[in-house]
Amino acid sequence: MKHKLLPLSETMHYILLALREPLHGYAIMQKIEKMSKGTVILAAGTLYGAIENLSKHGWIEPVSGETGRRKVYKITEDGLTILKIEHQRLLHILSLYEMSESDEEI
Amino acid sequence: MFLNILKEEQWLNEHLQKGYQCTNVSGVGLYTFKRTDKAHIIRLDYQDYLSADKYKEYKMIYEDFGWTHIRGSRLGSIHYWQKTADSQNEIFSDRQSFVHYYKRLMNYSLSLAFTFLIISYMIYEDSSLYQTQGLWDMEGSLFWKAFLFETPFAIFKAIPLFMILFFGINYYHAYRQYSTLKEK
Repeated sequence: MKHKLLPLSETMHYILLALREPLHGYAIMQKIEKMSKGTVILAAGTLYGAIENLSKHGWIEPVSGETGRRKVYKITEDGLTILKIEHQRLLHILSLYEMSESDEEI
Repeated sequence: MFLNILKEEQWLNEHLQKGYQCTNVSGVGLYTFKRTDKAHIIRLDYQDYLSADKYKEYKMIYEDFGWTHIRGSRLGSIHYWQKTADSQNEIFSDRQSFVHYYKRLMNYSLSLAFTFLIISYMIYEDSSLYQTQGLWDMEGSLFWKAFLFETPFAIFKAIPLFMILFFGINYYHAYRQYSTLKEK
């Protein structure tokens, strides 16, 4: 059965992509603002809830050995697998965009 | 004191717009304000029990975003967050997290309604609202005197019933918000 968080929401998608490098909560928001060219600006409660949700599913995890006050997160192997699945899905949709109308009728 | 968190947030923000900031919210629902030159905004969140670790992270993220925690306990409560108004005045930025928020409010109202239901059951199990023996058989002024004497006590005993009604209505309000977002 398809996972209940799939297809990924824009918020979840950006967080997983951002956490290919380790970041703490606020830095995730800042990175996503840049990545999205200022179109996606996460609010505190949304970010907290998404981090909780993604951690619960084991797609991201706190980086061990961090000594700062802020928890630093990173994507897990499971998280990377999810990104691969989403990548395939989006590639397929893009291919449909590029198809001419005559191809669609087949 | 407010029994509806959505109305409470609205009322607080209307007050802040008149040039105030909130400095304290007491347990019985009394608010303390002070005058300010800067526009402030307040948002109410509800969280169930959070472990010490999660609570630290919850507060850290909000504080990093510029929110100040005014009131709230990690044992399951409403959290009051205030900040100076700027381009980001919301605590939720996508539909999914609003849906989850209304869902949390629904569960909160439902659990409170259920708690008062149990309390009501314990109170009314072996006594009615009016306790005087044979009250309804009395006649004339004797009846009215006894009736009026007992009424305050009866109202007091009925408080749990009112609470069930209040939290039932709250549940309905949160459900309305939840279902309109869910359908879109």
